[in-house]
Amino acid sequence: MRRIVITGMGAICALGHNATDTWQGMVEGRSGIDTIHHVDASLLRNNPVAAEVTDFDPTQYIDEARLPFLDPMSQYALVAANEAIAQSGLDVRNGRTAVVTGVGVGGEETREGLYKKLYADKAGRFHPLGIVRIMSNAPASQISMAHGITGPTFTVASACASSNHAIAQAALMMRAGIVDAAVVGGTEACLTLGLLRAWEAMRVLSPDTCRPFSINRRGIVLGEGSAMFVLETLESAQARGATILAELVGVGMSADAGDIAAPSEIGAAAAITAALQDANMQPAEVDYINAHGTGTAANDCTETAAIHRVFGEHARKLAISSTKPMHGHALGAAGALELIAVIGALRHGIVPPTLNYLGPDPACDLDYVPLDARRMPVNAAVSNSFAFGGLNAVVALRRVP
Amino acid sequence: MSNVQQEIFEIIAKQAKIDIATIKADSTLKDLGVASLDAIEVIFDIEEHFNINLPNEDTDFEAGTVGHLVDAVQRQITLKGNS
Repeated sequence: MRRIVITGMGAICALGHNATDTWQGMVEGRSGIDTIHHVDASLLRNNPVAAEVTDFDPTQYIDEARLPFLDPMSQYALVAANEAIAQSGLDVRNGRTAVVTGVGVGGEETREGLYKKLYADKAGRFHPLGIVRIMSNAPASQISMAHGITGPTFTVASACASSNHAIAQAALMMRAGIVDAAVVGGTEACLTLGLLRAWEAMRVLSPDTCRPFSINRRGIVLGEGSAMFVLETLESAQARGATILAELVGVGMSADAGDIAAPSEIGAAAAITAALQDANMQPAEVDYINAHGTGTAANDCTETAAIHRVFGEHARKLAISSTKPMHGHALGAAGALELIAVIGALRHGIVPPTLNYLGPDPACDLDYVPLDARRMPVNAAVSNSFAFGGLNAVVALRRVP
Repeated sequence: MSNVQQEIFEIIAKQAKIDIATIKADSTLKDLGVASLDAIEVIFDIEEHFNINLPNEDTDFEAGTVGHLVDAVQRQITLKGNS
């Protein structure tokens, strides 16, 4: 079987506009959560906080002729993909490279902006670039167009698991010999009034901040951004002397076939187990889990139970952290941003912390690396994503010596 | 039984598709088989019916009883009356 490695990564989120700053923020335990600026806070019921991309000038990164076609979700995707492709140095301008992007909701800033003009302002004209900005495949298409990538290119949508499902699709196409390389990741720009109100109505938005696995946790804080990666075969990376960031050794997917919103311990455990089996990795080999860890009552105790179920006694030896208090819950971009944390942990032997932790919840009884980053060797790691709709996707990685 | 309590019980009975007589002030929504998004929908229906906002603190779906919910609604109705 072909071995798949990561040779480039790029990111933009509340912690910074590139992967280096994002990782540095994670090591420092910096939180990107702050008062929201994207929408009029007085129109929200909750305390208006989010992890926004700030001080971002797209003209610094993207050709001005291309910008009118880009919703922020595509701008973020291009910034991250450009960085990843540049770092990798791989020639992707061919039909043997794929682009697979995870997107949870699509071009919502454009959609809401244009619909407001239509429904509220009764505007007589609809902007002609609405469709090409809003469509969920726009980020994949824009990456393909900007880099001349002519292989299989598409978007995968599975809400909060979109990124990990995208990574799995790319890896499986590479293993099947359909492509030799892939640009893959996730992107989201979901901080709109309509979406914030919709999440509020589900009563899962935290009124204060995001405290995964902690006592008195009160829900999620939304974030936005993108992370992208270049996948290629180990053989190709070695032949061209590329710097290998990590090896992608396994992917696992499952569906709960249960509740549309409430998570399932069994479904989550099935995806983790599938990823470990695919990776040929024993549970006891795993050092670090980047948890889905949303900070809701339901996710964090269900995820903890799933980890107990899969890892048995080894669960207590695992370092587990959720980086969502730093970059927020970026929905379709979540798994990709969290892969930056996993790669950093593998390469630098530093596990990013779970911020805002106040103390143990009896139903969350593992080591969540509270508050401060931990220096420790990480040879094997797993990253969890569990979505509304009961869709689970997990990736497993190994350090490359 | 107060009118507010009666109306809340009717909303719950309709959503849970249960006989209103089975609802007691010390039942939780979970006891009544109203869980996950169904519970959130019940709260939404109550908010719509009384034209109030119930903060998340007043909607503990695990331990909070129907009686607590009635109290919370009464409180919001009083607040609205005073504003």
